[in-house]
Amino acid sequence: MSAKTVSVPGARPATAPALGPERPVAWPRQSVRTLSNGLQVVLAELHTFPKVAAQLFFRSGNAAVALATPGLAEITATVVRTGTASRPSRRIEEDLRRMGADLGTHAGADSSAISIAGLAEFSGGLLEMVADLARNASFPAEEFERERRQKIEELRIERTTPGFLGTERLRQVLFGPHPYAIVAPTEEQVGAYTREQLADFYRRYYVPENALLLVVGDFKTDAMFEQIEKVFGSWKAPQPEVQKSPAPPKNIGRHVHLVHLPGAVQTQVLVGNLAITRRDPDWFRLTLANSIYGGAFHSRLVINIREQKGYTYSPRSGAHPLRQQGYFSVHAAVRNEVTAATLTEIFYEMDRMRSIPVTAEELDSARSYMTGVFSLGVATLDGVVGQLSNVYLERLPADYLETYREKIRALTADDVLIAARRYFDSANAQIVLVGDRAQIAEQAALFAEVTEYDAQGKQALK
Amino acid sequence: MERLHIPVEYTTLANGLRVVASPDRSAPVVTVGVYYQIGFRLEPRGRSGFAHLFEHMMFQGSENAGKMEHIRLINSSGGLLNGTTNYDITNYFESVPSNALERVLWLEADRMRALKVDDENLRNQRDVVKEEVRVNVLNQPYGGFPWLDLPPVAFRNWPNAHNFYGDFTDLDAATLEDVGSFFYTYYAPNNAVLLMLGDFEPAEGFALAKRYFEDIPAHPLPPRANVSEPAQTEERRGEVEEKFGPLPAMAIGYTAPPRGTDDWYAATILDRALHGGRSGRVYRELVLEKQIAVEADGSADTFDTNGPTQMVTRIFHKPEFTSGHTLAAFDEIIRSVQDHEIREDELDPVKVKFRADFYSMLEGGMGAHMPRFGLMHYLACFTLFDGDPQRINTILDGFLAVTPKQAQAAARKYLVPQNRAIVVRRPVANGAAR
Repeated sequence: MSAKTVSVPGARPATAPALGPERPVAWPRQSVRTLSNGLQVVLAELHTFPKVAAQLFFRSGNAAVALATPGLAEITATVVRTGTASRPSRRIEEDLRRMGADLGTHAGADSSAISIAGLAEFSGGLLEMVADLARNASFPAEEFERERRQKIEELRIERTTPGFLGTERLRQVLFGPHPYAIVAPTEEQVGAYTREQLADFYRRYYVPENALLLVVGDFKTDAMFEQIEKVFGSWKAPQPEVQKSPAPPKNIGRHVHLVHLPGAVQTQVLVGNLAITRRDPDWFRLTLANSIYGGAFHSRLVINIREQKGYTYSPRSGAHPLRQQGYFSVHAAVRNEVTAATLTEIFYEMDRMRSIPVTAEELDSARSYMTGVFSLGVATLDGVVGQLSNVYLERLPADYLETYREKIRALTADDVLIAARRYFDSANAQIVLVGDRAQIAEQAALFAEVTEYDAQGKQALK
Repeated sequence: MERLHIPVEYTTLANGLRVVASPDRSAPVVTVGVYYQIGFRLEPRGRSGFAHLFEHMMFQGSENAGKMEHIRLINSSGGLLNGTTNYDITNYFESVPSNALERVLWLEADRMRALKVDDENLRNQRDVVKEEVRVNVLNQPYGGFPWLDLPPVAFRNWPNAHNFYGDFTDLDAATLEDVGSFFYTYYAPNNAVLLMLGDFEPAEGFALAKRYFEDIPAHPLPPRANVSEPAQTEERRGEVEEKFGPLPAMAIGYTAPPRGTDDWYAATILDRALHGGRSGRVYRELVLEKQIAVEADGSADTFDTNGPTQMVTRIFHKPEFTSGHTLAAFDEIIRSVQDHEIREDELDPVKVKFRADFYSMLEGGMGAHMPRFGLMHYLACFTLFDGDPQRINTILDGFLAVTPKQAQAAARKYLVPQNRAIVVRRPVANGAAR
């Protein structure tokens, strides 16, 4: 290390000032009510800016039908915004603009959502738009065909994107026969969708008893409830059945899954194993352990492979809380030459977490980080929407948010050790590498047996 | 229309550091930023990518907070931090629980006063930046499209036209001396604004700012560089090979009117009528009606640039259409806003949406955990470029007053071939990955 420094002398207080007394976090006033048709409604007033965000969730997403028709929930959501009984596509988009609104209609593994955000002065019209899309979507044939073609082109682009290919493969190997294995349909599957399948998904799952309506922003709660009763009150439909999913496999030992992307100048490295849902009593332990391992800028993995070794720009680890079964994963995009070295450090840091208790200073730091970031999330509209949707969609305890910070503060070094031993399963972790075979195959083989795939998701013939 | 009023207080310290405070006691958090008036436009020749590399160096240690100490102190206070490099500004910002305000100011002052980095730090961050370029540009479909593709085609003056992320040979050539002289030249208190937003009293915030920043010495600033462009007389075109993605893509950039002029307001509203999602004319015509494109949208860097900049349309079109056919369909849209005024019943909703987007930006603008980032960003730009943070409360008026006639005039004056550049991304052999 060179002794040369760039420095302008003259500093005065040589240590960082202590933190002042903490101010309490006040939650926006929330009101929860269930309409007679079974629609659960959660309202939270936030008067900082004249905006309202409304999200209507249905507790059924791609996983509900993945084994029969992968991606059906997503294409259904996409086509929902393209027409209702009274509004053609163009009218929908123009009405949105008139209210200063953005609309998103999406589906993930566990839910489908119609999300709108616009000016508070149009809150009535915003709700009517959500209700119209939820109740009267007409699935125009020509819009369906257009969106289907677009979906195919999007898939073709995704199949050249290292991040997508890595996540797709990791989910496949972790979840096997479980619907969470499938993150996207194939082109052929999209080509086989019918308009009737979309309409059927919509009829079955876009129903009030399967729904949660979350409204956050600049409104008066009583008036908002009245408005909601008016536009959603007469909505009636039977509750859908929830099907049981096949169990994911128990992976024993490490295995390398190499997705060949010709010409790649970097390797997308992923390491993962099955973990837990947000409802699991270990959830707080796991998220704290994750923030010390690789979930924050000041975490061990980031310091190691970015700030000390310079292998990568944005390494991160995360606990992903899907509804039926969560998973833990680590990812880093690294230059090809250090693929093996990166894996070595990922496993080294996992094993260190599993064998040596974290220091008191690290523990304290990580707990403050988590409680502080939680407070930041209360100060934006998107943050409040996100936190409330976690709680109510997953039916977490009513005091989840109010007690979050004290639960984090009560965690100990032992809790971190327990979580690491249970969920940083280095011996049985699955390794996914997305990159150019010629550049990385030898390094991959150092870690376990290698199975190769092409970018279309097909296993390569040996 | 409800009129929003944002409280803003503004002062300048003896060393020339401008300080802006915007209190909001609704949540116990503060967002703090320091914006330096230097961006990639003014990095030294032969050192493309240096302004951004330098931004990384600002996280590598200062006089009293060594490597990782800055990051540790913010994270362990319960906060998040980041920095970004832009055309004309580089910013450093933190959101923290409000009891950490003083600590954040101490940290920002420490690195404004005295950066303390060595060769090892420089080598490390050069490696990190190269991986950043690989992950965002070299190893992604459509990486750098079109923000790195257009400037070298559209502009002739090096500050506007070079590779902002940096050629690897230039990154390799950067030395610690470069770091030192860039710091001395541009990272002066009199070339910056400090912003504090959220849960604090302005008087207390100003007192803390004075305590920690006021004795940092001012430096003589270099004369304002010439970033102007020679007059353009014909359409400019370029082509870039797309290594991974399967679809042809096209970007069309029109050089925007100068900041703050009447045409600037009109062209901004025109941009929102053309772009701005599915109701904009470009998406409606190219994706929904003619179905030439799979994706088509665009934008202009209206508020945060202070030199030549473009309104850019991005189109990903179906392979069965040629780029000539796609461009002809686009040109028809441009002709329509030149030949006919946009009617009030189209322009009024565009303005409503503009106002809604403006509020959303002020409220968040950088994810769910960086409260008021957008407000900070705009306040910084109004202070550094226009000398008046209070414009935050009046700037909307100029946009909402744009008439159909003014929008048409802007279209006729600016959306012309001799004011535009076109870059095509052409996939190689159906995409390398297939």
